[in-house]
Amino acid sequence: MANGKKPILRVENLRVEFHTEDRRVVAVNDISFTLHEGESVGVVGESGSGKTVTALSILGLLPPVITRIPEKSHIWFASETLGEIDLLHTSPRILRQIRGGQISIVFQEPMTSLNPVFRCGEQVMEAILAHEPDVSKQEARERVLELFRRVGLDDAHRIFRSYPHQLSGGQKQRVMIAMALACTPKIVIADEPTTALDVTVQKKILELLRELQEEYNMALIFISHDLGVIAEIADRVLVMYRGDLVEDNDIYSIFHNPRHPYTRGLLACRPPLDVKLRSLPTLWDFMEVTPEGEIRAKTEKSVEEVLAERVIPREEVQRRVEHLVQQEPLLVVRDLKVYFPARRNLLGKPVAWFHAVDGVSFEVYPGETLGLVGESGSGKTTLSRAILRLIDPTDGTVLFDGKNVTAMEGSALRALRREMQIIFQDPYSSLNPRLTVGYAIEEPMRVHGLCSSSGECRDRAMELLEKVKLEPEHYYRYPHEFSGGQRQRICIARALAVQPRFIICDEAVSSLDVSVQAEILNLLNQLKEEYNLTYIFISHDLSVVKFMSDRIMVMYRGRIEEIGPSEEIYENPRSEYTRRLIEAIPRGERLYARP
Amino acid sequence: MTRWQYILRRLGAGFLVWLSVLFAIFFLFQLLPGDPARLILGQRADPETIALLRKELGLDQPVFIQFLLYLNDLSPISIHENTEENRKKYNYLPLVRFDEWVLVVKVPYLRRSYHFRQPVSKLLLEALPNTVALAVSAMVIALAVALFLGSLSAITYGSWVDSLIVAFSTIGISVPSFFSGLVVAWLFGYVLADWTGLPMGGSLFEYEPGYGLTVHLENLVLPALTLGLRPAAILTQMTRSSMLDIMYEHFVLTGYAKGLSRGRVFFKYILRNALNPVVTVATGWFAALLTGAFFIEYIFSWKGVGLLAVQSLKTLDLPVIMGVALLASTIFVLINIAVDIIYGLLDPRVSYR
Repeated sequence: MANGKKPILRVENLRVEFHTEDRRVVAVNDISFTLHEGESVGVVGESGSGKTVTALSILGLLPPVITRIPEKSHIWFASETLGEIDLLHTSPRILRQIRGGQISIVFQEPMTSLNPVFRCGEQVMEAILAHEPDVSKQEARERVLELFRRVGLDDAHRIFRSYPHQLSGGQKQRVMIAMALACTPKIVIADEPTTALDVTVQKKILELLRELQEEYNMALIFISHDLGVIAEIADRVLVMYRGDLVEDNDIYSIFHNPRHPYTRGLLACRPPLDVKLRSLPTLWDFMEVTPEGEIRAKTEKSVEEVLAERVIPREEVQRRVEHLVQQEPLLVVRDLKVYFPARRNLLGKPVAWFHAVDGVSFEVYPGETLGLVGESGSGKTTLSRAILRLIDPTDGTVLFDGKNVTAMEGSALRALRREMQIIFQDPYSSLNPRLTVGYAIEEPMRVHGLCSSSGECRDRAMELLEKVKLEPEHYYRYPHEFSGGQRQRICIARALAVQPRFIICDEAVSSLDVSVQAEILNLLNQLKEEYNLTYIFISHDLSVVKFMSDRIMVMYRGRIEEIGPSEEIYENPRSEYTRRLIEAIPRGERLYARP
Repeated sequence: MTRWQYILRRLGAGFLVWLSVLFAIFFLFQLLPGDPARLILGQRADPETIALLRKELGLDQPVFIQFLLYLNDLSPISIHENTEENRKKYNYLPLVRFDEWVLVVKVPYLRRSYHFRQPVSKLLLEALPNTVALAVSAMVIALAVALFLGSLSAITYGSWVDSLIVAFSTIGISVPSFFSGLVVAWLFGYVLADWTGLPMGGSLFEYEPGYGLTVHLENLVLPALTLGLRPAAILTQMTRSSMLDIMYEHFVLTGYAKGLSRGRVFFKYILRNALNPVVTVATGWFAALLTGAFFIEYIFSWKGVGLLAVQSLKTLDLPVIMGVALLASTIFVLINIAVDIIYGLLDPRVSYR
């Protein structure tokens, strides 16, 4: 791709350290790479690998107080108007001209990336006016409207007048893209721009970025933790691991012939869609880190070989599902409805309702994992809470093991809580920061009288910590000392503490890196075997759901679109919506089109 | 629900609050020992005169009837005996006459003070400008100080400047106003009086022989400073923490990434968003100050609503106490509605429910 094209950005020995009072962290460790005109480079790595820090250091947006960048680091930017500039050692005035004017950035969180108190149009106008003082407000306005139309916001005038909270996530991200393009920059950095969006929206945004990149001949730096997304958009890939640049190669080589064990692990740990695996490969099947911090390959096998070893034959999968559905169902949901008041009259009486869950019926069989897919706002979470009676349904019944959950009160309901547990999406907010990990796990056991002495409680909690592959000593620590994946393990241990039969995993792995996600998914499956659990596994990610589930249920606008065995849903979706959902999964089809 | 529907509902709720405040104070007052008639006429008055006055004040009636009569006096539409005396007293506009009764519209009648022998409304109207002037200046001082120190503290987060500001504001929050009032009055109005030229006490409007009502701005300085101290300290900390929250928001980074200058990002992105909670709390404080700062007004003998309330409590002057309570609850209800409206203007995300 770089053939014959001029380099536009040269990163040389970039090293970024963060110094706080008690700690020194090397976020980026001497990396060098070159970006050429009009080139699309993907940067992939897990959280903490230094990809965002690299992006921010290009624009000089790192917090100055704690950031240390050595003199030998350079980021050379070949500007058309200003000549070649070292972005790390230039004046704030020059940097301001470049930011938004020649290099712009789109952030991950469209929800929080726009100033909530100003109209969207004004915010984009501001970028134009900051860089082109000769442009009149009227001209700037026209240009913004034109940009909005270009990024697919057809109702440009309305969007111009809207405040950010009045738009959907996808629309906000389009506004952000319009803002980034406002001054036709030479480089656009996109930092996980689609991670917070639904797959169907993600697909459209990726298409838009590709189109715009070609149209404006911009260089694109696309950051993601998901190789599937990178495959859709990048010409070249930089793989980062713990601050190091471990592999820099064109996209075909990365996918077909990955050299670094970390890249191979990353490729393998994403659940495949075409086959069903016994367990997911993890990074640690491919590499190990020596005590000196050196990465060593563990196996010479290719990704394909490792995957092939774990495939479950088609007949076995089918037989399993057939066997499951012949049993008495554990959970029966009949015509469940949950309505929320949408509008109220003067006296506070609701006059209009929002149908979050609108007449849903299904069964869950003992020992099965029922996958529940749907986009945000489809009613997945409301449904799961209504099943557990964390919110009261408007109408319909839920039978658990023959008992009517919807009619239960007081102690019967509390006893039921023991049998049904939930694991939430955000491991950061679902653990009380003031309780030790041990106490968090013990509390439900004590409430339900499952252990008598405090010594017994502690032993059981420690045992559970080992079950979820943490250390017993973690019992005494607080949640903030743990990473996202570790916290999710703690949440799993807490759910297991009351020996439940049924667990709802509500987007339990959605906020984790793919590599950590694979480990948690494997853990959930192991525990399911060991304790004879039944799961409802909720996710917006169809590939994860397909790996986990025996059957899949697709929800759309509060209703069930379809339900059936996973392979069948994936291969022969009956509903149009399911088909769109499947098509939207990023998997880099263009990479496999070439021989 | 539209904004207007919302305001209407809040006004309705405010009316209920107002009624219950009246009810509570009226009946609690009955628990106090002492007879207003005797207090007015003195210990040596003869029983006949006392009985006559009690009848005139309606004190011979059952308590509940007394309350209804009071409400009738307050209500802008009411029924009165059609006498020349009443016409003068209430200054009403008759609507419908039946026999000796008349349905009228009038300005709410707050009765006359037992102690001052003047209409309560006149007393309140005299006290209110003093209190408003004091509250407004205290609030202006507090906001100016808080926004400056709060921003400074947030910008210099973690430095000695920040620690110093946090330390001082914590002291400001914890010192009670009766203490800070005494210290300020003594220090600046007495010890350093020659240098500051400020008096220890006095109101904004004072009668001076030969000049009539005159304005004394110098009297305002010390009470306003003292009164502003606490809100200033609290708002400083709020501004600081609110700014620290905002500073690391993504949209602030977006602002810088657009190529905006530091100043512009600071005012349009950080300060503007940090303002929302600060303004809400500031308005609440303003309402509290408007209803009279009892200690400060007492210490600086500032003839405001607070001082009036203290005096009437000492003399069991029910009409004045009711008047002050009425004024206070009205101010609270209106300001709280104002807060919601201001908040809606500041933050477009606010919806009215």
